[in-house]
Amino acid sequence: MNFISNSIISRSLFFVLLIAISSGCKKSLVEKNKSNITQENYFTSASQAVAAINGIYPALQTFQTGNGLNYGEAPFVSIDLIAGHATTLGQSLFNNEMINHKSSPTDPVFKVFWVGFYNGIANANLAIAKIPGIEMDDSQKKSLLGEAYFLRAFYYYYLVRLYGNIPLITEPINFSSPDLYPKAATTDEVYDLIVSDLKEAETSGMPNVDLTGRASVGAAKSLLASVYLTMAGSPLNKGVEYYKLAAEKAKEVLDAGWYSLFNDYAYLHDRAHKNKGELIFQVQYKTGIATNNITPFVTPDKIGISKLPSEIGALMPRAEFVHSYESGDKRAQEKQFFFSEYPAASGSGIIKFGEYALYKFWLLEAAGPNGDRNSDENWTLLRLPQVMLVYAEASNEVSGPTQEAYDQVNLIRKRAELSPLSGLTKDEFREAIWRERYHELCYENKSYFDIQRTRKAFNTSTGHFENALSFKNESGVVFNEQYLLWPIPQSEIDVNANLKQNPGW
Amino acid sequence: MLLALFAGVLLTQIKASPLIKPVPLRNALKQVTKAYGTQFVYDPKFIDGKTTVYNIKANSKKPVEDVLKSILYPNQLLFLYISSNYYSIVPKDQLEVATPGRSNSLNQPMHNSITTAFISKQINVSGTVKDVTGTPLASVTVNEKGTNNTTITNQNGVFNITVTSNEAVLVFSSVGFINMEVTVGTQTNFEIELKRSNSTLGEVVVVGYGTQRKSDLTGSVASVNSKELMQRPVINAEEALAGKVAGVNVATNSGRPGGRTRVSIRGFSSINATNVPLYVVDGIESPNGIDNIDPNNIESISVLKDASSTAIYGTRGANGVIIVTTKRGKKNSSQISYDSYAGVNWLPKELNVLNSQGFLKIEEEQYKNAAKYDSVGFANGKYKDPLKKRMNYLIGNTLGNHELFKLDANGIPQPIYDIDWQKMATRTPISNSHNLSVTGGDKLTNYGLFLGYVKDNGIIKGSSAQRYNIRAVLDRQIKDWLKAGGTFAYSNMNQEGVNDNNGSYDVMRYMIEFVPFIPYKYNDGTYGNSGNYEGLERVDNPLAQINEIKRRYNTNTFTGNTYLNFKLTEGLEFTSTLGVNVYNENDPFFQSSKLVSNKSQASISSSESKFWEWSNRINYVKQLNEDNRIDVLAGAELQKDTYLGWTARTENLSDDYYQWYNLSAGATALAPSSGSTSYQMQSYFGRVNYSFKDKYLVTLTGRDDGSSRFGSNNKFAFFPSGAVAWKISQEDFLKQSKAISNFKLRASYGLTGNSAIGSYRSLATLSTSTYVFNDTRASGSQIGTLANPNLKWEKTAQLDIGLDLGLYNNRINLVADFYSKQTHDLLLDAPVPSSSGYTTVTRNIGSMENKGLEVSLNTVNIDHKNLTWTTNFNISTLKNRVTALGAKNEDIIYGFKDLLLLRVGQSVGSFYGYIRDGIWSTKEAQEAATYGQLPGDLRIRDLNKDGVINGNDRAIIGKGIPDFFGTFSNTVRYKNFDLTLELQYMSGNDVFDNSRNSGEARQGIANSYASVLNAWTPDNQDAVLEQVRPTGAGYAYYMDTRKLQDGSFIRGKNLLLGYTLPASLQHRWGLNNLRVYASFQNFFIITNYEGYDPEVSNYDNDVFSQGVNYASYPKPRSLMLGLNVSF
Repeated sequence: MNFISNSIISRSLFFVLLIAISSGCKKSLVEKNKSNITQENYFTSASQAVAAINGIYPALQTFQTGNGLNYGEAPFVSIDLIAGHATTLGQSLFNNEMINHKSSPTDPVFKVFWVGFYNGIANANLAIAKIPGIEMDDSQKKSLLGEAYFLRAFYYYYLVRLYGNIPLITEPINFSSPDLYPKAATTDEVYDLIVSDLKEAETSGMPNVDLTGRASVGAAKSLLASVYLTMAGSPLNKGVEYYKLAAEKAKEVLDAGWYSLFNDYAYLHDRAHKNKGELIFQVQYKTGIATNNITPFVTPDKIGISKLPSEIGALMPRAEFVHSYESGDKRAQEKQFFFSEYPAASGSGIIKFGEYALYKFWLLEAAGPNGDRNSDENWTLLRLPQVMLVYAEASNEVSGPTQEAYDQVNLIRKRAELSPLSGLTKDEFREAIWRERYHELCYENKSYFDIQRTRKAFNTSTGHFENALSFKNESGVVFNEQYLLWPIPQSEIDVNANLKQNPGW
Repeated sequence: MLLALFAGVLLTQIKASPLIKPVPLRNALKQVTKAYGTQFVYDPKFIDGKTTVYNIKANSKKPVEDVLKSILYPNQLLFLYISSNYYSIVPKDQLEVATPGRSNSLNQPMHNSITTAFISKQINVSGTVKDVTGTPLASVTVNEKGTNNTTITNQNGVFNITVTSNEAVLVFSSVGFINMEVTVGTQTNFEIELKRSNSTLGEVVVVGYGTQRKSDLTGSVASVNSKELMQRPVINAEEALAGKVAGVNVATNSGRPGGRTRVSIRGFSSINATNVPLYVVDGIESPNGIDNIDPNNIESISVLKDASSTAIYGTRGANGVIIVTTKRGKKNSSQISYDSYAGVNWLPKELNVLNSQGFLKIEEEQYKNAAKYDSVGFANGKYKDPLKKRMNYLIGNTLGNHELFKLDANGIPQPIYDIDWQKMATRTPISNSHNLSVTGGDKLTNYGLFLGYVKDNGIIKGSSAQRYNIRAVLDRQIKDWLKAGGTFAYSNMNQEGVNDNNGSYDVMRYMIEFVPFIPYKYNDGTYGNSGNYEGLERVDNPLAQINEIKRRYNTNTFTGNTYLNFKLTEGLEFTSTLGVNVYNENDPFFQSSKLVSNKSQASISSSESKFWEWSNRINYVKQLNEDNRIDVLAGAELQKDTYLGWTARTENLSDDYYQWYNLSAGATALAPSSGSTSYQMQSYFGRVNYSFKDKYLVTLTGRDDGSSRFGSNNKFAFFPSGAVAWKISQEDFLKQSKAISNFKLRASYGLTGNSAIGSYRSLATLSTSTYVFNDTRASGSQIGTLANPNLKWEKTAQLDIGLDLGLYNNRINLVADFYSKQTHDLLLDAPVPSSSGYTTVTRNIGSMENKGLEVSLNTVNIDHKNLTWTTNFNISTLKNRVTALGAKNEDIIYGFKDLLLLRVGQSVGSFYGYIRDGIWSTKEAQEAATYGQLPGDLRIRDLNKDGVINGNDRAIIGKGIPDFFGTFSNTVRYKNFDLTLELQYMSGNDVFDNSRNSGEARQGIANSYASVLNAWTPDNQDAVLEQVRPTGAGYAYYMDTRKLQDGSFIRGKNLLLGYTLPASLQHRWGLNNLRVYASFQNFFIITNYEGYDPEVSNYDNDVFSQGVNYASYPKPRSLMLGLNVSF
């Protein structure tokens, strides 16, 4: 025991030393995130400004985003199914609900679209708030901001048409922002922002035409023409003043000569002509970077004509629609916009589908017997015929059919190997343009918005337009007021007491 | 050894030198001790006051006996030689008579009585300790009662001890045995037989940062020793733990080799942070669990359940703590052990699927019904007559189609192949395990070296797990006040996985759904795939997937752990522990170009995690006086964890040969990726145990935790707990009771936390994005997480009331605990309005409650020398309820196909879906039409009666977590045989078997369960399945009650028969122990569930997905033969 007393001092010293070391390591308990930059210390250079702008674009791919269900659900499918001229194969519960107008606000597609596009808006808001503070070349800065404004307007334009009265967020949000739980703005207020953003974009000094997939002045003007046309119709009903604006804006694009119609409809869906010719603005895809489901989704269900990983048949045109084209319309001929048979992928004979499929979106290089199985075609958002038809329709509302309007629509008809229109009354001309929109822009997510805007449904058996709220379309469905808007996703209503559900949902 | 007594006494006078000053005789003797190393036994009264002038230093070259003569004889003292360097000193006048019969070298007769007294003080006693079966017991403590004189038995059960009198009492004690006392008397060789104790009260249990006697526990702590763990030979330590502890649910949700277990202790305490318990191995946190540890190397596992025992782990304690103590060497022993088993596994049952004829019959019926459900499509020729179609696949067809049919005598095409894919994809493999350990030690050092190898081959072809383990332990008493030691362990685990994608495209799904009439390979060597026949969903056959898709999961774990233990004064100790855990994972993947996708892919995902912990603690134990005892612990700890992960991928390799070994061979390089996280913690903790009269026990615990993960406003948190216990059986009124041998009441309450959220949730980050411009990659930056600067830990308050009861000398032992856990400030990825661009923010919002009762009952039903029978029964109940969620208590719907629901008032893991009311009958045609349905269509209940079936018609239809579960096990030992029967049971849990969706509602495009043969027809109106028709003709799938099944079960977990070689034979063969056994695991299951196994989940990382099945890896039945030998 005396041994202990002899060494207790040295042992205690050792012990005290250890305690001192262990408690002397008091740090501030902060760990740096090495994989991600924080928002506070970003936005200091031109390259960071470019990266921030690049970050706004991926939300465009929301059109092709499934929701983890793998049965062929995606917004680009849903928006066309709801309009009544398409059907779906396979077993998608949600797609069938969309066709039959039996959806519920909990259905995933409503949420996918809302979440995706508001995310795009948040990225645009961050760029618009932070880029002005960066020291960099002014013209580059302005042009970059133009892209942000264009994209924000684009996202809001879809959201306001699909969901009606929606929150209008224009500033970055943090945990204590009052706008974390926003009230809905009126549709008018949202359109005001869209118009002012597009005007900013128009004058931002972006290139007039862009062949790489970025926003351009041409895209901004084309979109603005479409916005004005929509504002003129339901639900804002701003009337002739806005038809005039739409016509003028469309004319600016047409007069500039930045775009030209393709000679071959195949160029609409091949790799070589991405972002070229008549294609004004597209969602970009590329094998190895971003692939999409467009091709498998338009290939008939397990038909055996492609070497794609899957054939789903999620978006299939109704035969009634294909048969509604004028006789001789090239677009309705086999392997133009549609196809109904194809050589078997196994190389043994021709497979007849027993139905029509959309050749318009079939990427031959990926899908065909010698294809590379990579579905990476672009999804077209704006192309020249749309602008031509906006011009024709809007100018007709202002001053009846003019020669200039006839010229535009007849260019489209000529390509379809149809005889030119002439000598129509204002009403006849209006219907003719609408029909042309249906036939030229079919399954490009236009018809649902046309029904909203015009309250008219296309009668495929007569070729005329009927009151959308009383006409039973070929899916056997009559639109009611409820289906003129999508529901605000239930999860959003659940979490934000300031939002009200759309009528009927 | 008997005392050999030699006395050398010389009475030669030596004249003292006048120059030297006399020194006390006692000091002189000390000098002799120092110079010669001799020791003396004497009665001080004969020495005190006597002196010597003899100069010892000057005469140090002389023999010691000459020196002794010089200093003792002048004092009339004699010395007796006892053994080498050991002398007794006696007065000359008392030593007159020589002891008869003993050789002596006394120069004078010795006094008889003195001699006897002296001899009796040095009695050397030896013997052997065995158990009732005659097996020698090693490491039994042998103590001379009332002294510190102690030894332990060696591996042959042999002990030697020298005692001081015939009256000495030897106490034999060993954990798990009843202490035995023997008076030495005249006997010198003993055969001691220890009886097994029914009580484990004397056991020492490992608790947080220390140990405690089981009888002193105030909290709810269960301990499982290595013997119990090894009862069921398994590769994974958690699986070994399954069923051993009440309140701990170890779900083995897959039969994948290597085991895939999910442990939950007392329900769930979190939604978005982890529900996984904290693992501590030898005092150091093990952040990657205990998969890397060989169960053979585990000495014991303690499970800390209540707040009193877990609060010392603060923010990591809320899910309970599993403390693993690995084996170490034992003092004064050396042992070599070899443990091995080999086993065979097989698929317990095949599910009933259509054969070729069945499939083709259904295909024909579908075609007939197509007209009813899609008249337009039928008229347009959208559907093909299968009889005609098959003509295109005849032998010798010139269309270039594969040959699948031949014409029978009637000219009808008949299938050539009829393949049982379940049989094709599975096998009956042999697995084996080898474990060698060398352990031992002397008085000051213990060592242990453990080598292990195990190979577990899966019942699905191509799947296996293989692990190598090396572990070395060393402990050394460096000084009597300093002990140091360490453990160094390396584990290498390699798993070969089959294509397993939770049912989307994988082997387990397609061994059910791949059609039977397409072969594995054609004559030309190409694989059969379902694209070979028109109209089928195009996938690879399961065997082609097994051959051409390779997944590997390779992990290397290194753990190093050292400690220094200082004894500052009696009862005061300081321990410093430094531990490191390095975990590397490397998961290559390859898919060849020979499959349907025709695209080869290869990738390697790797990661490196480093964790270190430095823990310093001081412990003071003091019996203050007879009644008061305290045990105080205080400590500080630092932890840091860093992780870096990276992936490289490529596609379209120039040759399949390269697999993942040469990624540059890929024509399409995909973007590489990497990510890193790190966190640190800094903590202070303390505990006080106080015991009064050994009846009333109090424990107070606290921990102050700081974590870098939390918001800047909330870096530190304090977690206190308290517990009391009353040993009623120690009270006078029960002390004499024969019936009640142990009776203790316990109560505890405390707070624990959960901090396992991501590392940077309190920071507003930017994330990176990828887009395409001009056909090239353009990376961008986007908003990342919504920062919450107020983020803090979850708090779980837990109340535990427990009872320990031992009856009839502890032959009946009952432990019962009631607990109630309330978790507040749930770390929830709470939804925020997505108009913000964000979808969730991690917030402290929401509450949850878990309540339950745990009962363990252990009884010794028969306790005879040749026959014992013991029973262990445990049951755990669990009632979980979400009590608050989000700002508005909004429902959270999530998980696989939005099946799971979190709703206030309901249990987590609730299944949210539709109710199937059978099939519309012909009589109900009119009502069916209002839903746009026909007789023969699926009838889903219109819950809100709005005339439309949609998401608003969903309800809670079941839940994956059980109401109660437990184990019932019996062990009978007859002579050298032992037989154990272990049953596992679970009740009140449902299984949502999505395999029924793909296996019943996709006829014609894939193979189906045979149940589709009983689908609705006009003659079979009461069917549960809708009328068959092509999938495109109005088939609908719903997450409905058809897929829901009762998952309650009773499982024969283990039937074990063992034989231990009799002790006499072991001795003859020089063995310490030899045992052989056969273990039959998962040998039956009684359940209403129709799939492979109701204990199932596809989603490892989401505890609330328990019971969600979609083509999970089936669990094998296995028979193993094992051998334990040590010498």
